[in-house]
Amino acid sequence: MATFRTTSDKFLLIAFAVSIGVTLLLILLPVLHAIQLSFYQRESFVSQGVWVGFDNYLSVLSTPTFWRAFGVGVEIALLSLLLQVGLGLAFALLLDQEFYGRAAVRGLAILPYLLPTVVVALAFQWLLDGSLGLFTIWAERLGFGRPTWYENPTLALSMVIVASVWTWTPFVTITLLAALQSIPKSLYEAARVDGAGPWGRFWHVTIPMLLPVLVVIVLLRGIWMFNKFDIVWLLTKGGPLAATEHLPILAYRYAFMQFDIGGGAAVATLSFAFLSTVIFIYFRIYPLGGKDIAT
Amino acid sequence: MRNRSLIPRLLVSTGATLLGLWSFFPIYWMVVSSFRPERDLFGTPSLIPERIDWKFASYRNLIELTDYPVQFLNSVQVAITVALVTVLISIVIAYVVTRYRVPGKMAIIGSMLYAYMFPPMLLAIPLLSIFAYIGIADHLLAVVMAHCTLSIPLGVWILWGFFQTLPFHLEEAAMVDGCSRAGAFVRVVLPLSAPGIITVAIFAFLLSWTDYIFALVLVTSDTNKTLPVGLASVLGSYDARWGELMAGATLIALPLFIIFLFLSRYFIKGLAAGALKG
Repeated sequence: MATFRTTSDKFLLIAFAVSIGVTLLLILLPVLHAIQLSFYQRESFVSQGVWVGFDNYLSVLSTPTFWRAFGVGVEIALLSLLLQVGLGLAFALLLDQEFYGRAAVRGLAILPYLLPTVVVALAFQWLLDGSLGLFTIWAERLGFGRPTWYENPTLALSMVIVASVWTWTPFVTITLLAALQSIPKSLYEAARVDGAGPWGRFWHVTIPMLLPVLVVIVLLRGIWMFNKFDIVWLLTKGGPLAATEHLPILAYRYAFMQFDIGGGAAVATLSFAFLSTVIFIYFRIYPLGGKDIAT
Repeated sequence: MRNRSLIPRLLVSTGATLLGLWSFFPIYWMVVSSFRPERDLFGTPSLIPERIDWKFASYRNLIELTDYPVQFLNSVQVAITVALVTVLISIVIAYVVTRYRVPGKMAIIGSMLYAYMFPPMLLAIPLLSIFAYIGIADHLLAVVMAHCTLSIPLGVWILWGFFQTLPFHLEEAAMVDGCSRAGAFVRVVLPLSAPGIITVAIFAFLLSWTDYIFALVLVTSDTNKTLPVGLASVLGSYDARWGELMAGATLIALPLFIIFLFLSRYFIKGLAAGALKG
């Protein structure tokens, strides 16, 4: 640790002040402005707002639409989180084995994560196209008729979840694979000497060693899935009949389709408050991650 | 490995094949569809194309009839600017925070992690309001600034972890040998942290290149759109021309695949570092 002394120290200090200033301006200002907007009634992004106090919050919270969107969001986040972590763990364990062509399969397993969401959405929309989609045709051949992916609420929700699982599981796979590779082999040897079978070694060595990483992955993925706007919007626009409309889409609809910017800002601020509470409680339960951050 | 019996080996290779298919099939189908003659997209599809359209009509239509080329250039400009700005700012912040006594430094690092988790609309709605107020809404500059709100926290976070593992005595040795701190920084710290810096550049580029939300909210004119928004609006405006759409999707993905092919090491390291830390 050094203190500020020389000219180059001063130069670095100035650069630091500028960088922090820019960063705060870019991150803090929008958040504060969002909270400010949520107290105004404003019909467009260029018009003047009218102070309405908590009216936006009261009207948003009193609609069943908000609570329904909240429920849909929790459902999407939890289901895709569960599948992503389950599949990610299975994939990581598999990729940790030795088999012919392992490097190639490891590479392929990451590819979906690299794709822009719009590409993922288009690829799935093409596979599921109502008349020409490959999966639609296969479903028909298997005797299911032509599935109406976009009109059936359950199918639409499943489609959103499967597409999210497809593209975001690699994040879990790669981080868990890295964690698996850092487990010392001697732990497995010791467990073997103590008479542990494959399951015993998995439950008493692998899982505890992966736990710190899992704790962080679950939090990050859960929150990101709760926040995901693009995959849902591109696939279903929140439909059919709001079956896939969650809070990000509701906020977007308020601000950009119903000309109620205050309402949109209120929805965004409410989901921000909810997520902050979740993060706070989560780190109270698992201080492990908190310790990592504090070092 | 050699002494393992047949059945577990068979299970592992079956699993690996399934994993490969699951990950690659939608991408394969996208690429294959973009190279098929249009009439082959109708009717019963075969898994392996009987014909390739050597005139590449899908690609030609996309490039000649839509704003795709302009939007491709927009995306390149935005993503490269975002990567440069992110690298510059996050090097400075992460370096000063790890090497000097900075008041409230854990608050800085903590808020970077926190910013990872902001709902997108919490940033997009006020950003449009601010950019409309200062008159740069619908400009690429607005998109660049919006992307930096995501990429700078990520960059500071990754480089903070990186600089911490870099032993301070290396710089001290350079300074004892007569380097100024700036000299030590340029000659010792930067070369040693090149892998971390490349990782940050890749992730910033990736974030910007793949973003849909901010570009959707901030940009309205067709010639200022970035690729993801432009392509999504092609789907809306035409009667689903799947050949052209798949050609467009393939072209967006291509630069990412090329980067990944050459720099996968950094990519995987970054994922691991980002997740272990946050």
